[in-house]
Amino acid sequence: MRIVECEVAVIGGGITGAGTLRDCALRGLKAVLIEKNDLASGTTGRNHGLLHSGARYAVQDPESAVECIAENRILKKIAHHCIENTGGLFVTLPDDDPGFHALLLQGCRAAGIECDEISADHARRLEPHLNPDIVAALKVPDGTIDPFRLTSANVLDAVEHGAKVMTHTEVTGLIVDRERIAGFNCLDKRTGEPFELRARVVVNASGVWGQKVCAWAGIDLPMFPSKGSMVIIDYRVNNVVINRCRPPADGDIIVPGDTVSLIGTTSKKIPYDEIEDLVVDDDEIEVLLADGEKLIPNVSRTRVLRAYCGVRPLVAVSGKTFGRDISRGIVLVDHLERDGAEGLVTIAGGKLMTYRLMAEMTADLVCRKLGRKAACSTRSTPLPGSGKKAPLKKTARRFSGIPQSVVGSTHYRHGERAHRFLSRDPKSYGLICECEMVTAGEVTYAVRHLMAKDLIDLRRRTRLGMGPCQGELCAYRAAGLFTELGPAKGDEATRMLIDFLEERFKGLKPVLWGDALRELEFTYWIYQGLFGLTELDRPSESDEAD
Amino acid sequence: MKYDCIIIGGGLAGLTCGLKCLDDGLSCAIISAGMSALHFSSGSIDLLGYDPPGQVVPAPFETLSRFIEARPGHPYAKCGPETIEASLDFFRRELLAEGLEICSNGRDNHFHVTALGTLRPTYLSQASVFNERIREAFFRQPRIAVLTVKGFRDFHPGLAAANLRRNALFKDCEIVTGQIELPWFEQTPQNPHEFRSIDLGRMFDSGRGLGLVAARVKEAARGAVFVGLPAVIGFEDYNRVMKRLMDLTELIIYEVPTLPPSILGLRMDNALKSRFAARGGVFIAGDRVIGGEITGGRLDHVHTRNYGDSRLRAGHFVLAGGSFFSGGLVSEFDRMSEPVFGLEMDYQPGRGNWYSPAFLDRRGHPFLEYGVKTDQALRPLDRHGRPVENLLCVGAVLAGYNPVKEGSGGGTAIATGFQAALRVAAD
Repeated sequence: MRIVECEVAVIGGGITGAGTLRDCALRGLKAVLIEKNDLASGTTGRNHGLLHSGARYAVQDPESAVECIAENRILKKIAHHCIENTGGLFVTLPDDDPGFHALLLQGCRAAGIECDEISADHARRLEPHLNPDIVAALKVPDGTIDPFRLTSANVLDAVEHGAKVMTHTEVTGLIVDRERIAGFNCLDKRTGEPFELRARVVVNASGVWGQKVCAWAGIDLPMFPSKGSMVIIDYRVNNVVINRCRPPADGDIIVPGDTVSLIGTTSKKIPYDEIEDLVVDDDEIEVLLADGEKLIPNVSRTRVLRAYCGVRPLVAVSGKTFGRDISRGIVLVDHLERDGAEGLVTIAGGKLMTYRLMAEMTADLVCRKLGRKAACSTRSTPLPGSGKKAPLKKTARRFSGIPQSVVGSTHYRHGERAHRFLSRDPKSYGLICECEMVTAGEVTYAVRHLMAKDLIDLRRRTRLGMGPCQGELCAYRAAGLFTELGPAKGDEATRMLIDFLEERFKGLKPVLWGDALRELEFTYWIYQGLFGLTELDRPSESDEAD
Repeated sequence: MKYDCIIIGGGLAGLTCGLKCLDDGLSCAIISAGMSALHFSSGSIDLLGYDPPGQVVPAPFETLSRFIEARPGHPYAKCGPETIEASLDFFRRELLAEGLEICSNGRDNHFHVTALGTLRPTYLSQASVFNERIREAFFRQPRIAVLTVKGFRDFHPGLAAANLRRNALFKDCEIVTGQIELPWFEQTPQNPHEFRSIDLGRMFDSGRGLGLVAARVKEAARGAVFVGLPAVIGFEDYNRVMKRLMDLTELIIYEVPTLPPSILGLRMDNALKSRFAARGGVFIAGDRVIGGEITGGRLDHVHTRNYGDSRLRAGHFVLAGGSFFSGGLVSEFDRMSEPVFGLEMDYQPGRGNWYSPAFLDRRGHPFLEYGVKTDQALRPLDRHGRPVENLLCVGAVLAGYNPVKEGSGGGTAIATGFQAALRVAAD
């Protein structure tokens, strides 16, 4: 059996794993990451993409608030191509307890978060679609962050610094060598090839799935999954993050992102065995739309694009087991100290905002365990894409001749790395996904350099199929490109196409009314009526031929 | 303005109904809100492709009587096999008058090849998709070529060929793929990698460089005598272009429907509209009927967005507004409705019942079967549950059939459109 050896093996390709891999690679450690699915395919890719200022935590969790604002400032420097510096508002509605406004202001000041009291009129000038009845507003440095691009950029940088990444690869067993955990047996799900991943330290960065990784090692680390659901609406109805100024509750935020806006979030405790089959419930949709409408009345007249949910990876540290009460703080466990198991470290809890800090803490511990002295450099080293400030104007001039919309979208998504694949070759800038302006060149780059192994991965790298039509035409076109570029033969690409359509359908089911139903009917006519996709699994009928 | 018959909706059902009305000497207007489902159809007419367990139906007219007996609520049951067959004959004659030849495999179904290389049973196809030569070629040729036009995003031979190879029908065939570069490729202001089927179809219409195209097709076919191309071989002048291309290449060329817009469907749409105009019908395009007045069990008049307060009157009205995507039916968070008259609908309450768990579920999706409830004469019930005497419903707005799962969409549109016209004429 093939053996992959390294100093540190990271299990989990979410943002925590990706950040840890990068931190280790930048410190010169030989690092390998495995992920059972795709990068950012778990909790990382299933949140509202908020670049927290920390204000949301300022009243109840001052420690998190301080962490958030510190990381907020760092990320704006090192990951600016994944971020929109939109600013955020906390608005008080007539029904809300007016006292919370003052508490929040006080909390922010204590945590060092810039927080300005502005008039309701001023707030409405900043965000014209805002509910005209708001009574008070606070302005905070919230923003938006794209978790897919952030994860991908971390992995790309790690790989460029010598790390190895294997996606669609799962753990199948534990390797113990002289009483220490020496690695895991793995299986490449795409090729079916089993291999041994041996490392001096294994980092369990699998979020809520970390309980399962620990279980392989006979360690009990209970997680309390809390489901959070969100609704995406098909227009960017706001340009500033809108928070409801009240203690955290369902439906208290609307975050703009790319071409859409998101209404978040619910919180429901779920049994651990349900984490693989999450469904958005109807009552969640009703609550999100009703509360979203209170912030921005337009929401009720806007098409709902899809709904999705993620599981918060909460680790019980205080004995409390309800969603919002369990600490969202960072939990770093050396299992040698906790369980007498040498060679395994778990990093859990935390949030997207603090991934870099979590990675730094983890890599520090790994270095201590390996006896290596190497300092963390991720506070100031920009991620690929944020390397240089490449102003859009300059980029647009450089690529004159290519439609501005294409240059703009590509630059928005890939920062200065856009220069690596934007080209005046018309084939390269030919659009594959017209909703999100994804070109054949961008698809090629994602397949060759960003580990997009199938169409669903490709969506996470490029936004292909994430727009209003949800992959109606681009899914087929991209499947065709996969065959042209070589990573998939025709029948594999067809399978990818089916998987992609089914994955899109999952997020459409909870919101299948109105325009979403119309669009789905059209997609169904194309892929079943026109293309006969289910015929592929039909048993041979040669005897019935005419 | 007063007509014998006003038809709301200018898709396959509405146009067939209109043509039959004119054929029977009635005055007729069609009010059409926009593009119809023909724009993304295969351009073939499915009559009954699959039986209830999902097996391919080889000879639809042999099963139709039994099928109808078991489903008294099905639109086909409201037409009957004789009318269905008569409607299809009528439809073919009308299109042939416009130069669009429609072929059938006798009274049996035939297969048409899709862009993904699957085979779909269908009943009527354009001559470039099915005819006797193509039928013979399928079974004689050891080598088939599937080609595309260089840069065309909406048809990929690699996908079609891979899935054809998996099909037992083609086990003795060698299937080759390739692409041809069009001679006018680099000379357009548009990015040639963003051409749609219509752009290519129009270029073929021009006839420019067809000799060079033919030479390239022949070369790319690598000895195959039977060649599949994306359905872009002429948008308006398709008969002449196709004939010239076949003459020049001495190959049998077969068209495969592409991603929308589907030229095969558009040709049919154009031919039907042109025929409707030629027969003296009034086609009001880009307007939408937004309401009407029902008094004493009769629809007196309708009004439209563009005509404002003007009332459009007719002895009979036909509702052919299509399904959800056409706007003929509307769904909301927890209910469905017919938006123009508020007609009674047949549907399952509870949004969770509207769809199947998987997108490509073999059972299809229940929402496709929802629609306006009608009596055996295709008459609906108004919002108070009372029948409307002079309003008939046809095509995808109807409840009681699943066009995709049964492979019955085109047939139902034509048969019910035809049947409604017969009833209007008889009144």
